[in-house]
Amino acid sequence: MTARTAAERIRKAIALVNAVEDGAGDEEITPTEIAEAIRDCLELSDVDRVTNVRRYLGEALDAVSDGMPADFVAMTLYAALGALQEGSPGT
Amino acid sequence: MRSAEGRGRTLDEAVDAALIELGESRRNVDVKVLSEGSEETVVEVTVIEAESAAAAAPADGKGEMARTLVEGLLKHMGIRAQVTTRQGSEPTTLDISGRDLGALIGWRGETLRALQSVTNVMVGRHLGEGERIIVDVERYRQRREHTVREIALRAARQVKMTGDAITLDAMQPFERRAIHLALEGDPEVTSSSIGEEPERRVVVGLRKPAAG
Repeated sequence: MTARTAAERIRKAIALVNAVEDGAGDEEITPTEIAEAIRDCLELSDVDRVTNVRRYLGEALDAVSDGMPADFVAMTLYAALGALQEGSPGT
Repeated sequence: MRSAEGRGRTLDEAVDAALIELGESRRNVDVKVLSEGSEETVVEVTVIEAESAAAAAPADGKGEMARTLVEGLLKHMGIRAQVTTRQGSEPTTLDISGRDLGALIGWRGETLRALQSVTNVMVGRHLGEGERIIVDVERYRQRREHTVREIALRAARQVKMTGDAITLDAMQPFERRAIHLALEGDPEVTSSSIGEEPERRVVVGLRKPAAG
């Protein structure tokens, strides 16, 4: 597993959240699916190699559980993605 | 308000023709598609008057608040750009214009999307349930919607000619939505989405005749 895989999984979680907000009109996405996508990210060891990535992902998961607005979840996931990219040159 | 009609083989060509006539850049105009066909596309391009846009902004308190916030964010990011509230848009849309704003759009609009999320979180408590602020840079979203609409119509034409379904490239939700909306009125073709985010794709195929 690489930081690239972690970035791809975070992007997938972000895409799910965005699909909810944009109302693509072609899918029904549940909070459970978003939470699963975030848990998939947390399973990777790479999220521990860069400071704060696991913390942001944990906050995003909590936000989904607490029913926070999709934009808040997305912002926290973007923070995780940003931290991962800053801490992993070349991803 | 100045406007001009433009004609061309594609949407871009038609818009460019009107822009040349008006002597304006894309960032200062509104584009309305009058007709779109296999041979020719006709658009009406209207110049957005800067003064009227600025005058309209204070009437919308939420829009003005979001505009000020985004302006402040951009300043902190060291980006020199102008932020205006788009007139008559629902939901409220902020337009960011300036030079070299490609970095603000990012890969497949990722940075723009992140900026929009931050903006909505910051003004969220002042917005009603389900209400959102849309952030656009150099009309990127609008241009992408026009482009995917054109892709959808082209795909529909091909499907009608060959009878074979076409799977389009992976797209963002707002782009897929634009395709579904563009084709929903066509009695001969239908659109559906397959795959998982972020690789979800639209398939355009022939509409099956209703049973009975």
